[in-house]
Amino acid sequence: MEDSWVAKEEGSAYTRGSMVRTKLQAAFPHLVRYGLLLLPLSVVLTFIVIPLVRTVWESFLAINARGLATGPAGLKNYRELFASHLFRLVLRNTLLYAVLSVILCLVIAFFLSLLLNQKRNFSSRPLLIGLFSPTVIPMIAAASVWQYFLAPRFGLVDRMLSFLGLGHENWLGHPGTALGVLVLLFVWKYAPYFTLFLLAGLQSIPPEVREALRTEDPHHLYSFRKVILPVIAPMISFVTVMSVVYALETVDPVYVLTQGGPNNGTNLIMYYLYNLGFNYFSWGMAAALSTLLMAGLSALSAFALITLERRTFHWQ
Amino acid sequence: MAMKKKVRAFLVSLVALLWGFPTLWVLYEAFFMRNRGVGFTWENFREAFSAAPFAQYFMNTLVIVLGLLLVQLIFGAVVGFILARYDFPLKSLITAVFIMQIVIPIYAVMIQDYQLLRSFHLLDTKAGIMLPYAVSGIAVLSFRQAFRSVPRELEEAARLDGYNTLGVFRRVYLPQSLPAAIAFAVISVTYHWTDFLWPLIVTNTASSRPVVVGLAMIGLSSEAAMQWNLLAAATAIVVLPLLVVFALSTRRILAAFVATFNW
Repeated sequence: MEDSWVAKEEGSAYTRGSMVRTKLQAAFPHLVRYGLLLLPLSVVLTFIVIPLVRTVWESFLAINARGLATGPAGLKNYRELFASHLFRLVLRNTLLYAVLSVILCLVIAFFLSLLLNQKRNFSSRPLLIGLFSPTVIPMIAAASVWQYFLAPRFGLVDRMLSFLGLGHENWLGHPGTALGVLVLLFVWKYAPYFTLFLLAGLQSIPPEVREALRTEDPHHLYSFRKVILPVIAPMISFVTVMSVVYALETVDPVYVLTQGGPNNGTNLIMYYLYNLGFNYFSWGMAAALSTLLMAGLSALSAFALITLERRTFHWQ
Repeated sequence: MAMKKKVRAFLVSLVALLWGFPTLWVLYEAFFMRNRGVGFTWENFREAFSAAPFAQYFMNTLVIVLGLLLVQLIFGAVVGFILARYDFPLKSLITAVFIMQIVIPIYAVMIQDYQLLRSFHLLDTKAGIMLPYAVSGIAVLSFRQAFRSVPRELEEAARLDGYNTLGVFRRVYLPQSLPAAIAFAVISVTYHWTDFLWPLIVTNTASSRPVVVGLAMIGLSSEAAMQWNLLAAATAIVVLPLLVVFALSTRRILAAFVATFNW
């Protein structure tokens, strides 16, 4: 598309004779800019935009197990997907997991941010390290920590239970408790991280306003609802969207801790997509699911981006 | 009031203890759990290093993370500068393409990208892991924002001193974007160092496997073989360097985490 524009520019320059030189001179900086943009643009086009278009396109094609398109399929891939019992179970698991994780995470993050907000030098370093250690370690490492912790008979949790005479529990061996473990792991990993953002929102209240609130309304009954909440509302919506995205994209702990089991009780949507593409080789269904996920997740991230942009405009 | 403060301090400490404990316990067991009894030992680490080439894994992660960061910073600075300072046809369309890179999750195009890499013969290479991420929309947007807030007078003064565009870019704009670059570096390094599914799919051998994928493999095999000490040591190998770095500059890293999202 850049080339066509340049060609047009040059063509008009030739017809106008004396303006050739000035026109070319004016076009040259543009050419340099397009030239510099060409490589990064083509990387994004090759690995994001074109695959995106192809995925949507292929979701309407019949595709064999070797990944070759054999003809148009209409909505067959989508129908097959929604007809699958496994997919319905996966949807149910994902919904339950996402709702529980997001609510727990947000409630804890909110109270934690209020706790940490009071005084600037309140928190000591060991405290911060303890609180944010899950934030800085990779999700896989966090899952390994919990795998070690919950190991049947050997792990600390089971050892404590048997010390108290409560017997053993294979936490990852039952669908209900396994999903619960995944939820707790998510909350443990991400609640402090989201606290940081809410804290940043709280601290964007100007000091003089905070001082005025302290003297005028010492119990924060009025100011909380009328000043603090409106100020961090955009941050709350941003954090909510981010946590929903993170919950929907959860795959690492599933891979390490449960491999979707037992009885597909922890088979979440990303893990299912991974299996569709790389273990079951159902490329058509995988393309359909990718399309749906893409629509949902990109709408969510776009929403998060817009709320944040609006927040910066609001405060400047 | 003092009472309230104490309650608050107690609550925060309790939460910090609760959150820090699991990791601390694994570290403790990795160093102190012997086959018989309890005492300091390197045995678990020796076993973990002989069970998997962790040095190689770390090297791979280092190359991937730092290489990506370098490429992303260069592309981000150049594209951000052009978008911040110049007007040209199709500018908004081009900006939209870079925003798409942020908004579209890689998971949604993962299978296509995998097939693309296979046709380029880049499967099981570090370059293959890096390529889809080489241009970061977040880098572009944060550089654009940083360059926009540079006052025009500064540029004009530099031009009067005889700097050309490249000189202005290097001497005026780049230094001003340093905070944005550092904040982006924190986000990029954390993201790619912890990224799992994509490198898992792309790699099959130790030659390009990052440490996170290696740890997951150890986790699966040690669960099967009930070698829990191996898992503890492997987790410690991955977690310790991070925690040491975090302990050394706690506040700066936390601040950087938040600052990145203040475009």
